[in-house]
Amino acid sequence: MERFIDPLSVHKFAVGVSMDLQFQKRDSGQIVLPGEPLGVIEEFIPDAGTYVKDGVIYSKVVGRTLIDYLNRRVSVFPITRGAKVPKVGSIVVGQVSSVQTQLATVRIFKIGKHMLSGFFTGVLHVADAQLRFTESMFDVCKPGDIIRAKVISEKNRMYHLTTKDKSLGVVYAFCSKCGDVLQQRGRRGLQCSRCGNIEKRKTAIDYGKGII
Amino acid sequence: MSQKTEKLIDKKGLRIDGRKPDELRPIKIEVGVLSNADGSAYIEQGKNKILAAVYGPKELHPKHLALPDRMVLRCRYHMAPFSVQERKSPAPSRREIELSKVIREAIEPAVFVEYYPRTAVDIFIEVLQADGSTRCTSITAASLALADAGIPMRDLVAACSAGKVEDMIVLDLNDVEDKVGTADVPVAYMPNLGVITLLQMDGILTSEEFEKAVNLAIEGCMKIYAMQREALKAKYVSVKEVEE
Repeated sequence: MERFIDPLSVHKFAVGVSMDLQFQKRDSGQIVLPGEPLGVIEEFIPDAGTYVKDGVIYSKVVGRTLIDYLNRRVSVFPITRGAKVPKVGSIVVGQVSSVQTQLATVRIFKIGKHMLSGFFTGVLHVADAQLRFTESMFDVCKPGDIIRAKVISEKNRMYHLTTKDKSLGVVYAFCSKCGDVLQQRGRRGLQCSRCGNIEKRKTAIDYGKGII
Repeated sequence: MSQKTEKLIDKKGLRIDGRKPDELRPIKIEVGVLSNADGSAYIEQGKNKILAAVYGPKELHPKHLALPDRMVLRCRYHMAPFSVQERKSPAPSRREIELSKVIREAIEPAVFVEYYPRTAVDIFIEVLQADGSTRCTSITAASLALADAGIPMRDLVAACSAGKVEDMIVLDLNDVEDKVGTADVPVAYMPNLGVITLLQMDGILTSEEFEKAVNLAIEGCMKIYAMQREALKAKYVSVKEVEE
């Protein structure tokens, strides 16, 4: 392959750009694209949004540069919508797809503020549902409910979730008899506005406010 | 196909569409044209009109196809029934399946595939109008769509073809030149890293001609790369103006 590409010209191109950068004053906030040289490892410590190949620091996303001359760090902050996957600690929103006494499966469709084009599957275990002892998962959520949870582990090819917080839990629930939306009635009780059926859920503090 | 009796290169050395041998077709690129996709790009290269959309990373189903240490890049190259003169069946043909694989393999070296283990990223390439070298144009669009989706990449991938038409090495073949010409060499190239990610040849070339064609194609890739940059930056500069 080297026969056809002149290695020198390639080198000149890569180094040429970084040398250009050296001569002009490098500002933070410039838009860079993947593969754009940002400097060499002798002058900066590569940080988020960058990668190093053959001693040259390149951007790996479309973003704005942040060049910290004090700590000699260079990073790129993405300005794209961004590829998002659940991480330990991230708050996710999903729909409960199945419930067993010990476990509920959740189809995660939102990570933080980011709506996903597909979905990820998470599991919520009874032990992680409430601070106090929970007898059955059916007292926590039912299939179809919209639930807000936090990712606590991504071991075993699964996202393990928890709702052990006031802000976490069911944010939107449906009556298991008639399918109508459940309304908050006092503490720990949800009532169907159509058939009057009372159901139990582990609700988030802002249940029924329409915030997911 | 219709057999051309006219010359592909005239006495002035100009090609059938009036281009010089080392001239690209006019290119128009737009990034972020589809709101439902995570990333998208639209490209017009001469009479080629190609739309690329990227979805993901997302969970892979069925799960046994997922790889524990990297994401699965899936690519679908598809030609619309109205993209060619005679209606093409919308079912994926043998050629489209092969091109899907070829395009995926040309894009994969640019993507940090190990960042999102157990997930899938889908690339959909829809050829709305075809006029030769669609695989190259598709790669150019697909890499922009990936960058637009925010998937970490080593570099953008620019692609361009070169070939031999009536004993002359020419850049960026169109449909007639591709069919009547002697040879076709599509090349995909990562401009900042200087890496070729796709190199094919269809036809007969001597080793000197081949070398010349590859170098010419790389030059073309560099020109296309400049346009890719412009198009990608244009999207985000205009977004900034709206915000302020």
